[in-house]
Amino acid sequence: AMAPGKKITARIKRTLPVKGPQAPTLSELMRWYCLNTNTHGCRRIVVSRGRLRRFIWILLTLSAVGLILWQCAELLMNYYSASVSVTVQFQKLPFPAVTICNINPYKYSSMKDYLSELDKETKKALETFYGFSEGKSKVRRSVDEGNSTGTDFFKQIPLLKFEDFSKTATDLRSGQKRKIEGSVFHKDSSIVNSGDSNDIIGFQLCDANNSSECALYTFSSGVNAIQEWYKLHYMNIMAQIPLETKEELSYSADDLLLTCFFDGLSCDKRHFTRFHHPLHGNCYTFNSGENGTILSTSTGGSEYGLQVVLYIDEADYNPFLVTSTGAKIIVHDQNEYPFIEDIGTEIETAAATSIGMHFTRSRKLSKPYSDCTETGADIPVENLYNKSYSLQICLHSCFQKAMVDSCGCAQYAQPLPAGAEYCNYKKNPNWMYCYYRLHEKFVKEQLGCQQICKDACSFKEWALTTSIAQWPSTVSEDWMLRVLSWDKGQKINKKLNKTDLANLMVFYKDLNERFISENPANTLVILLSNFGGQLGLWMSCSVVCVIEIIEVFFIDSLFIVMRRQWQKAKKWWNDRKRDQSGKPPEASDLERQGHDNPICIDEDLPTFNTALRLPLPQDNPLPRTPPPNYSTLRLETAFTEQLPDTLEVEQH
Amino acid sequence: EGLIEFYDSFKDMFEFFCKNTTIHGTIRLVCSDSNRMKTAFWTLLLLASFGMLYWQFALMFSQYWAYPVVLTMSMHSEPKMFPAITICNLDPYRFELVSEHLVQLDRMAEESITFLYGVNTSASLFHMNEKNIRIKDLSSIGNLSTSSFKLSQNFSLLRMFDRNNGSGRRHSSVGFRLCNATGGNCFYKTYSSGMDAILEWYRFHYMNIMSQLPVIINISDHEEQIEDMVYSCQYDGEPCRPSDYVHFHHPVFGSCYTFNSKGTDSFWTATKPGIPYGLSLILRAEQKDHIPLLSTVAGVKVMIHNHNQTPFLEHEGFDIRPGIATTIGIQQDEVNRLGGNYGKCTTNGNDVNVKLLYNNSYTLQACLHSCFQHIMVRKCGCGYYYYPLPPGAEYCDYNKQPAWGHCFYQLYNRLRNHHLNCFDQCPKPCRESLYKVSAGTAKWPSTKSQDWVRQALRHQNGYNSTSNRKDIAKVTIFYKQLNYQSVNESPLLSENLLLSSMGSQWSLWFGSSVLSVVEMFELLIDTLVLSLLFCYQRFRSKKT
Repeated sequence: AMAPGKKITARIKRTLPVKGPQAPTLSELMRWYCLNTNTHGCRRIVVSRGRLRRFIWILLTLSAVGLILWQCAELLMNYYSASVSVTVQFQKLPFPAVTICNINPYKYSSMKDYLSELDKETKKALETFYGFSEGKSKVRRSVDEGNSTGTDFFKQIPLLKFEDFSKTATDLRSGQKRKIEGSVFHKDSSIVNSGDSNDIIGFQLCDANNSSECALYTFSSGVNAIQEWYKLHYMNIMAQIPLETKEELSYSADDLLLTCFFDGLSCDKRHFTRFHHPLHGNCYTFNSGENGTILSTSTGGSEYGLQVVLYIDEADYNPFLVTSTGAKIIVHDQNEYPFIEDIGTEIETAAATSIGMHFTRSRKLSKPYSDCTETGADIPVENLYNKSYSLQICLHSCFQKAMVDSCGCAQYAQPLPAGAEYCNYKKNPNWMYCYYRLHEKFVKEQLGCQQICKDACSFKEWALTTSIAQWPSTVSEDWMLRVLSWDKGQKINKKLNKTDLANLMVFYKDLNERFISENPANTLVILLSNFGGQLGLWMSCSVVCVIEIIEVFFIDSLFIVMRRQWQKAKKWWNDRKRDQSGKPPEASDLERQGHDNPICIDEDLPTFNTALRLPLPQDNPLPRTPPPNYSTLRLETAFTEQLPDTLEVEQH
Repeated sequence: EGLIEFYDSFKDMFEFFCKNTTIHGTIRLVCSDSNRMKTAFWTLLLLASFGMLYWQFALMFSQYWAYPVVLTMSMHSEPKMFPAITICNLDPYRFELVSEHLVQLDRMAEESITFLYGVNTSASLFHMNEKNIRIKDLSSIGNLSTSSFKLSQNFSLLRMFDRNNGSGRRHSSVGFRLCNATGGNCFYKTYSSGMDAILEWYRFHYMNIMSQLPVIINISDHEEQIEDMVYSCQYDGEPCRPSDYVHFHHPVFGSCYTFNSKGTDSFWTATKPGIPYGLSLILRAEQKDHIPLLSTVAGVKVMIHNHNQTPFLEHEGFDIRPGIATTIGIQQDEVNRLGGNYGKCTTNGNDVNVKLLYNNSYTLQACLHSCFQHIMVRKCGCGYYYYPLPPGAEYCDYNKQPAWGHCFYQLYNRLRNHHLNCFDQCPKPCRESLYKVSAGTAKWPSTKSQDWVRQALRHQNGYNSTSNRKDIAKVTIFYKQLNYQSVNESPLLSENLLLSSMGSQWSLWFGSSVLSVVEMFELLIDTLVLSLLFCYQRFRSKKT
């Protein structure tokens, strides 16, 4: 009687007739595979007559496999390539936002209270170094000496005159010679220094905690030195003024805009949105989309764009902060932040500037085609700008964050992160040195910002073409200035000068939108059919034959190896048992292998499969299963001998 | 088993082949038993599938051999170098060696204007600027005595009337006559405007005078320094360094300085886009008028170009107005061509027939100029003054080659009409960078700041103008965006894809593979060998 466990295994074996591999040994298996497979080449290895022939066929088959693998790898590597399509559409285009700023940020006359100290200092510097005095009559004495906004700090960071780098510098205030001490890092000397007096003007920033650590800033021209130095102090002063006051101090929409005309219709300041830029004061954005509607032009051409006449009050300019006169404009999308200081286009006074636009929209494929970001949400940098993501925004935000982290306050030109405040040397005496060090690190890509920030996947671009004409013309100048001054005269009593005016036209050259988009060049279908092509070309192979290869070469071979091991283990166990019981081993048991080996054959009752299993033919080239080729010539001839209609052709 | 075993007979061989071949379908024709219907059917099928296969193959190969390309556009944003910037002051030197002749030429121009227009307008125009540029090593070139040169009177300006047009109004044009060496085949180089004619005429004489000068002029050590032109130079907020520029003298554009010409110094890496991070220059933009009639433009010429490239200012220069701050935003575009079978282009110019006369990297413009100069030297016997000389040649001078003008203008016309094969000989470079430029201008210095700005410049930079004339200019050149668009050609049909589609077709129509073809090949060889063997055997058996 069988044990219940054995019964179950017997039953499983009966109902699930899982057979082992097609051959008992590895070489038999290979032979069987080669004779029966559909893949070309293999059969020849077996059936070819002669060792050289066989060797050549092995070589050919292997090289075909190699070629398939190589070509398929190449196909896979080129899978993630994108093709680009450019479409040009003619449609009603939304007009972009146009932000206009006066180059001078704040009215100089109203800034007097804040800047008088600094200006006095600057004039003194000019006088000391260049013997320059601004019109003898106009030496204003500021009355409120008590309100010393930062006199101490001017002393701390003075303009210096370096005499031939002999490590001595003349202080502008005292005229005393100072010795520059400590480790000074400074840029190479400039190419453009004056021929006779070999002195250079600059300033140095020192670490407040450790005065021997200094950064020396020299400039190729005194103009740059004074401007940089002025800007440094100016930013400190401005950082202390609250935003509301700054908006008051800057230009109002009425100040800046004299006339406005859009798409053939008149417009006014209600179409402009105020935007306060830290370096450019009040700027005005036309068509900012703030009230929910975005204007569009009906046709292209200069008549149908935005036409404004700007009032640039040159007399109220800050002489040290800005040296050029005019306005700055930038064309951008409603969701984009206008980086005026970086990429603004300047507009000249006493001229008509017409700017033709050409609109291009681009879209890139994101991962895995390229490394770009759709919304910027996946980038671990907080967007400080409250506008849609761009690389520029990310870099600035990243730098500002590093600044707050390491210097304790925020840089003036960029927006404030939550909970931080702008740097000024009253509160953070060390910030400037810290900033310059940090900036140096940023440029050398040591802050990691360039690594974190990615490109945006889609962007809009307005390509601008600028042309300038003299305006107003000599004959029209008279009446035009009169009319414009009358318009403005209702507010101020001042005769307009043509050098205070700038005419600006911004328009679409045509209403064509160029849309550049990337599309995947390959789809899965194409990849698979290319794979199929390669397999077919070299070996007439298919997915089925790949499965066949996996079955034979991996599963079956493994099975055979396992079985061999199992038998060895079993034999070793039996031997041990026999040794213990004292019986001599049966010699025949060792020699017989494979089908003839009774151990190999299942011990249960003969199933249909086992009963039908034929002993393996020794030298019969005919395979046991019908081969997939059309080589049954011998069998066919055997049949045809019995068929009378084919006898006539039979040669036998 | 032997190394190679052969079959006993042809029959044995065919039997073996039929049994073991892997070719589908077609083999039935040979190997199947003989049923005529079946054979005919299989023959038809075989022919049809063969036809289809080769038709498809032909289509595929004709497409492949046309080498079609697709343009792919991609945006790159890796850090890169600032381009090379060349600035010129539009004020060529008045070399002392030829100054006498230039004075004569100015006088001649004055006479011509008086002759043509009757008014003596030129009295103030030709006030002589006495500052001459002295060449240091006069002794070494002393054999070029100044007296040997004589201004030719043969090319005087004439007014011509054209009565042929129907409107009845008399159109006049101004020009000068050019003849070949024997005085025949004359033609007039005419211009509708007298101004153009005078400028061209002046230029023509100027070239002849300048050809007196030695080819290599050592201008590096004379008094003209960069400080006389560039008052301030800053890149990315830092002053430029003495090693950052290269100086050369251009016969028309005067003294030129190229910043960042090599493009290898890390100082010039572009880190951020935007005006504050660009190159900012304060320039002297006043014309000293050394040679007043050569150019009528005042200002500074700026050109943005690639590193190691000869700047051709006459082609791509950008003018800067005095009294104005110009901000030039640049954006880079790159074009990569595949070359080879996909279109003619050259990677470094080594494979171009024309020997480059400029010792910088290959550009189409440099090749065209060199090509023209070579033809000029061959046809006219002398070189055009504005292009470099090939070895052994000399610049044209009408005292030596009286007919060169005639020859030159005719050649030039042929070049323009594409009759010279220079355009065929000069392929485009495979890799090209183009800089798209857009500019904004503002008044500079502003009225409020000009006093102190001028004072500071005067004191430190040797600026010596006291009036409020517009004679300084400011230029800022910056990257508008650091990512650049590159347009690449890539093959539409790569070999890889061609093989794939060949395989698909083959499998589809024929069910065979490369290995099946090898089988056929083997059969062929076997047949040959067997027949040889049998022949040999028969031969031997006959002999015995």
